[in-house]
Formats: sequence, structure tokens, C-alpha cells
Amino acid sequence: MERREEIGVESFQFGEEIQSLMSVVQPPEAGNSFTALLELPPNQAVKLLHSPEETTPNIFPSVFAVIETDNSLETTSSIRPNSSPNDCNFVKQEPIDSDSLHNSSPMESDPVISISAKRKEREKKVKSSAKKSKNVADETDGEKLPYVHVRARRGQATDSHSLAERARREKINARMKLLQELVPGCNKISGTAMVLDEIINHVQSLQRQVEFLSMRLAAVHPSIDINLDNMFSAESGSLMDCNFGAMVSSLDGQMNENSHQHQHLWQVDGLPPQPLWGEEEVNPFITPENSLLSYDSSGTSGCLHTNQLKMEL
Amino acid sequence: MHTSSPLKKEFLKKWMEGLQICCSSKKQMNVLERKKKIKLSADIAMASAKKTPMSWSNAIISDARKKEDDTILIDKLLGPEYSQFKVQKSTYRMMSCNKRVQCKKILKRSSYMSGGKRTKTKKKMGVSVIAKRLVKKRTKVLKRLVPGGESMDEFSLIKEALDYILSLKVQVDVMRSVVTATEILSDVKLLKSVVE
Repeated sequence: MERREEIGVESFQFGEEIQSLMSVVQPPEAGNSFTALLELPPNQAVKLLHSPEETTPNIFPSVFAVIETDNSLETTSSIRPNSSPNDCNFVKQEPIDSDSLHNSSPMESDPVISISAKRKEREKKVKSSAKKSKNVADETDGEKLPYVHVRARRGQATDSHSLAERARREKINARMKLLQELVPGCNKISGTAMVLDEIINHVQSLQRQVEFLSMRLAAVHPSIDINLDNMFSAESGSLMDCNFGAMVSSLDGQMNENSHQHQHLWQVDGLPPQPLWGEEEVNPFITPENSLLSYDSSGTSGCLHTNQLKMEL
Repeated sequence: MHTSSPLKKEFLKKWMEGLQICCSSKKQMNVLERKKKIKLSADIAMASAKKTPMSWSNAIISDARKKEDDTILIDKLLGPEYSQFKVQKSTYRMMSCNKRVQCKKILKRSSYMSGGKRTKTKKKMGVSVIAKRLVKKRTKVLKRLVPGGESMDEFSLIKEALDYILSLKVQVDVMRSVVTATEILSDVKLLKSVVE
């Protein structure tokens, strides 16, 4: 029971944060305040999305501040006029917010966060506009959880448990959409169960690929004895593929052999394992190999004096 | 692709370190053992290469530490203080989550036994109930797949799965390129020896 309320609280903290920020800047002045607002929400919102649990201590003071100001006004009649302008601005805020979020978050786990921010914003936009368009039944949870200002939709239960449940479900759905984007081929499928199915298949196939790749590596050389000095020395900020290509093509030059022979050899070697791994492995193998051999050796031939592999023949 | 090359480089470095530690043990291993070692060092490298530790990465590391053969490798690779801290955090969380799960199970069983649910569900055995059952089955399977997912609620499970898929993709990419490179090089060596 507590957990649900916690989750409900967490889910509304995000909305509350935005509302509190807006109430700070006097919502009726719509045009000028947005640009000021734009700087604040993206950073905080991105932080919120990435680690909601960690930033709860930061959020609570502001939430309590909002609560204290609102508690004084907390009668059912007075909340209506108070929160409807917030709602309007909330709806308008979001398209701009999502754009700014998308643009202004250049971090490493950036794509996940920006996509999740975008999606969450759209979710909230849809939700709040739906709330506005239907005739809203007024409802507050003020008695039990002072900081949950919820708008119940028309014809739905206004019980605190079901509200928290609904909030939780919507959070889960937002994340499921993120997952759908990540897993290829999931966009067209509707329904949680099928999407979960695809996700499970994807995870299983990735795990199996890891197993097979490690098996191949184990089979290639009898002893795990890779001398990688050349790899690390040649690594001057370029991608790994370039390094491998440089190594391979300079070896090529040393031995005066055609690239055709390489490919022929490699394909012969590659044929037996194919039936095991199916088609998804075949095409990527051949194309990176072609790309590897087409790179020029740009002065890294000196590294080859340190031996790459110690083979026991 | 959303994968980032700093992460790839980090993973590669750690993996190679782990492999070097493995082969310094000077045992004659057969193919399967080698494969296990390779996979293990890859997994640990992946788990530790992340900048913000997620619970699945902690789970991998703590699972690996439980098996006695591999603790040496892990300690060398990660550094002793780092891994101890992680173990404590993850076990505490798992204990609390397990208790919660057990309590829920007890509650469910008791309500089922008292027969309170049966009268209502006959009318409402519709699509939604079936859908819920399907979703529950799938989430159980997903919990088993994602490391450390057993003791998690649905919401964080999805987040973990997201992160896990991303890093698995990175792992597969890096491993694939390493494997193809070593295969090419081994073929080249073979040819060289044959020619001479």
C-alpha cells in the first residue's frame, strides 16, 4: 500500500516540479516567461528522468513549498480557478519543453534520455489535454497525501488507490514505448504482451550472440594470448574498426597477397559455422570484412613489429 | 545506432585486461573453459564499464563473485574496494525486495484460499483478464532473463531491461569486431606458414 502511494508521489513529482516552476514565474504572463522557464526545466527534467530516486531529496523542498502555499487555499471551490490556468500553461509548455529537452541534453546516455523525455512529454500532453477536453470532475487527494493534486477524468474512480494505480500504469506505458523504439520491429505491434514478447526474443538473441562469439574466439586460438600493444598504441581517438583495418591491410601489404585470397579463405572458414547461427550473422560478417580490407594503412605499419597473435601451430 | 564509442573503448580495454589476467594463470584449458573465461571477462567488463552503475551490473558482479574460481579475476580487474561496496548495496536491496515479494505471495495465497475472489470473477472473465495473465507471464520470463531482475518491480524492470539491451548491443558489436579481426589474422598467419 505504501509502495503505491510512493510511486504515485514519484510520478506526480515530475508534474509538480514543472507546475511549481511555472507558479514561480507567474503563469498568466505567458509569452515572456516561457523563455526563462526553458532554461530551468530541461536540466532538471532530464535529471529527474534519469534518476528519479536520487533526486527525490531535491524535489521535496520545492514540492513542500508548493504544498504549503496551496494548503491555505485548499477548499474544493478555490482549487478550480487556481489550477485551471496552470493546466492551460502546462499544455502550452509542453511542445516547447520537448523541443528544448531534445536539443539541450548532450550527455553520454543522451539518446535514451532525450527520447524518454520526448515521449514522456508527449504522454503528458495527451493526458492533460484529454483531461481538459473532458469535463473534469474535481478531485483532490488532500486528506491522505497532501502533495498529490490530481485531476480525475470523467467517469473514472477517484479513489486514491486507483489513481495511484493509474499513474503507475501510465508510467509503465511510457517506458514501454521507449522499449518499443529500442527493439527493432516493435513499432507496429500494439499491446503490452506482444511487445514484451519481442523484447524477450531480442534479449535472448543478443545473449546467444555473445555466447557464440565467445565460443568462436575461444576456438580461434588455442591459448588466450592476445598481444594488444599495437592496438592500444594505434588508438589515437579513431574507431576500433579503423585500427583493425590498418593492421590487416598492412599485413596484406607485407605478404604481397591479394585481398581476394583473404576473402576466399575467410569465407571457406566461415561456411561451417553458418548453419548454426542463421542468417543474421552472415551479412554483417562479410561487410565489416570488406570494410576492414579497404582501409589504408596510414603509417601504423611500424606497430606490426610487435606480434599480434601468438599461435601454436 | 545509439551506441557510443567511449563506452565501446572502455569495454574493450577492460575485456582485454581481463583476458590477459586469465591467460596469465598458465593452465591448459580446453575450448569450453576458454569460452567460459572469455564470456565471463566480457560480461564483467561490460558491467563495470558503465558510468552509472545499474542494478543488473551489480547483479552480474555479485553473482560472479560468489563462485570461488573467479573472485581472483574480478578483484584484480575491478579493484577490491569497488566490488565490495557494490556487493553490499545490491544484497541489501535484494533482501528487502525478496521480503516484499514473499509477503505479497502469502497475501495472495490467503485471499485465494478464503475464496473471496471467485464470486466476482465469473462474470468478468474477459479479455482484460487474459491479457493481464499474458503480461504477467512475459514479465516473469523477462525477470529471469535480465540479471538481477528477480527482485524488482515492473517499473524498474523495464528500465533495467532498456539499459541491459543497450549494453548488450555494445558488447556484441565489440566482440564481433574483435573476433573477425582475430580470425582474419589467424588465417593470414596460416597462409604465411604454408607459403614458407
